[in-house]
Amino acid sequence: MKKRLLIANRSEIAIRIIRAARKQGMLAVVFQSDREPDALYLNYADEIIPARDAGNDKPIFLDPERIVNLALENNIDLIHPGYGFLSENPDFAQLCVDNGLNFIGPSPQLIRDMGLKTVAKSMAIKSGLPLVPGSDGPVTDAQAAKAFAVKIGYPVILKASAGGGGRGMRIVEKPETIERNFKSASDEALAAFGNGDMFIEKYLQNPKHLEFQIMGDKHGNVVHLGERECSLQRKHQKILEEAPSASVTPAMRKEMGDMAVRFAKSIGYYSAGTIEFIMDEDGSYYFMEMNTRIQVEHPVTEMITGVDMVDWQIRVALDEKLTLKQEDIHIKGWAIECRVNTEDPQNRFSPQTGFIDKIHFPHSKEIRIETGVQSGSVVTPYFDSMIAKIIVHGTDRADVIEKTLAALYDFSLIGLKTTVPFCRTVLQHPEFVNATYTTRWVDSVFTPEMLENDEDEMIGALAATIMYASEYLQLSSDLPTYKNDSLNVWVLNKRLNY
Amino acid sequence: MKIKLNKCLYRYSLFLEKLGKSKKNMGTSYIYKRDASRLFIAMRENGKRYKIYIPKESKPVINGQEEDIDFLEQEDFHYTFDWKGKCFHCELVSRDQNKAVIKVNGVEYKFSLESLFSYIRHGMIDKDGKQINENNIVAPMPGKIVDIFLSEGDLVNEGEPILSLEAMKMQNEISANCNGVIRKIRVQSGQSVMKDELLVEINSIDE
Repeated sequence: MKKRLLIANRSEIAIRIIRAARKQGMLAVVFQSDREPDALYLNYADEIIPARDAGNDKPIFLDPERIVNLALENNIDLIHPGYGFLSENPDFAQLCVDNGLNFIGPSPQLIRDMGLKTVAKSMAIKSGLPLVPGSDGPVTDAQAAKAFAVKIGYPVILKASAGGGGRGMRIVEKPETIERNFKSASDEALAAFGNGDMFIEKYLQNPKHLEFQIMGDKHGNVVHLGERECSLQRKHQKILEEAPSASVTPAMRKEMGDMAVRFAKSIGYYSAGTIEFIMDEDGSYYFMEMNTRIQVEHPVTEMITGVDMVDWQIRVALDEKLTLKQEDIHIKGWAIECRVNTEDPQNRFSPQTGFIDKIHFPHSKEIRIETGVQSGSVVTPYFDSMIAKIIVHGTDRADVIEKTLAALYDFSLIGLKTTVPFCRTVLQHPEFVNATYTTRWVDSVFTPEMLENDEDEMIGALAATIMYASEYLQLSSDLPTYKNDSLNVWVLNKRLNY
Repeated sequence: MKIKLNKCLYRYSLFLEKLGKSKKNMGTSYIYKRDASRLFIAMRENGKRYKIYIPKESKPVINGQEEDIDFLEQEDFHYTFDWKGKCFHCELVSRDQNKAVIKVNGVEYKFSLESLFSYIRHGMIDKDGKQINENNIVAPMPGKIVDIFLSEGDLVNEGEPILSLEAMKMQNEISANCNGVIRKIRVQSGQSVMKDELLVEINSIDE
């Protein structure tokens, strides 16, 4: 009998996992949420479980008990959580395990450990991963902070140990202001959280975000699949990713990759995982955190390594041994992923909801499209704004930038605004082209005017004029004396409007 | 007098040369045809202006230049153009009187639109800076109006003959000194004029 794999997720990743399930000869089962009963992914599934979640305050994908109960009712063998939702919720993973469901991902304990930053960091230190230099515990007073700052170098960041939301946080550029800043931050923290304890850490002004993809099995084998650069972020969310990174040399790749593998092995990690690093302008890098799920940007890694990562997640869950050997994994070419979010880049990336009247994706051998929508789909306010991903492969970085730009020009969506024009702007910006862009790019470099260009503006003026003129000329023209030969579109346009 | 006539002949020969050139370059002699109701001005909030002439046949003229733009697709509020081998998807986002927001390849541009007539009218009311110029054409020499080629309200190209003036048994074509619309023709065919007498007033559309 075929194994039954339930996908506790939606949209493009559900379709991605359906493909992987089929590859393993499994039946792909999905939930139909009442919040989007006509979603595209439902068309691809072998079986659909109606979630009947209309009256619930959260959609099915965030409801561990309901997922597990429905899974048991429907004789599910494996559950794939995708990304987001419950994918990194240790209680959900535990609930699956307790009910005899095969949770596709690492053990609940590993998810829990990696989810707690302090635990993850102490485990990282043990296996020799570098951390951003900082105080191990709270510094006692301004003098101690000043002494510590000399040790790690300016600028530094002062953080309230009980802090959050930017309160009790100060970036200090030079020694003259550290005492004053320490006092004000500490007072602020005391007032806000009832605790004035302060940590001090080195502040990276223009960091890059790098991450290493690892894949491990339940038999102690771990490989890394190279790095991705995800420095391009807005509101701390990635929007365009590339693999490999131009900031990582082959020697660094080996060093960081080995480090990532060593860390994963030391904690007994299995399934797909990502080890995130932050890199300073001088090339020094520090461990940030580990993600214990498949990531949105996994296709760029798949494109340059040829490894089917979701397939391996399933196989690892079935206790298979990893047949991938580190020496067999080679990076071929370069890949870029652009996220298509229904957001308005001209207006602070505010989300757009409504109908997609028409959507057109580029097609080519080098382009991979992962989409959760089609023409006629509805974008609801209930879920996140990412509707598709455009992933392009090229022979090298310059080649992939050019191909991605062409692909984005071939993309069109009528009805809503998307982040595609933003991605086009990024791909043409000197800081992206020369790979010096950092996580601060959107805040410090980007302005909405950069989305505009003279050619588009002129054509826009023409389109606006035709629309206006067709009405205007209706009133004032010397009426229809068209001959059959005057099939000129400028005339046709006028005629169509009668 | 002799000098002046020579000057005039010289100018006339220059004009013929210019006419010949433009004929060679564009296939048709003038970019704007008579119909002033087909010229529109699209203005962005940043002050950028596009003067767009939509001819009955042939390609649109944008800021005095015929552009090789083709329609690929057309639906109610959606056009796709092809220009320089590139695709431009345009979508009408909103429309409020003469203001329109157009999305071009995913980016919005806001325009206010005016016909040539309302543009000129506003320009005359508008006292500050960007006022529409009035260009007067006066008789370069005394003579008789033989023929008038254009009418009031016609769109005229710079260098395009407006009327013919006979002086000393020679016919001189008097041409427009700017692109614009003919506001007023002060003379009639057969009428004799003095030197420097006002012949034609033009509302220039040149910046």
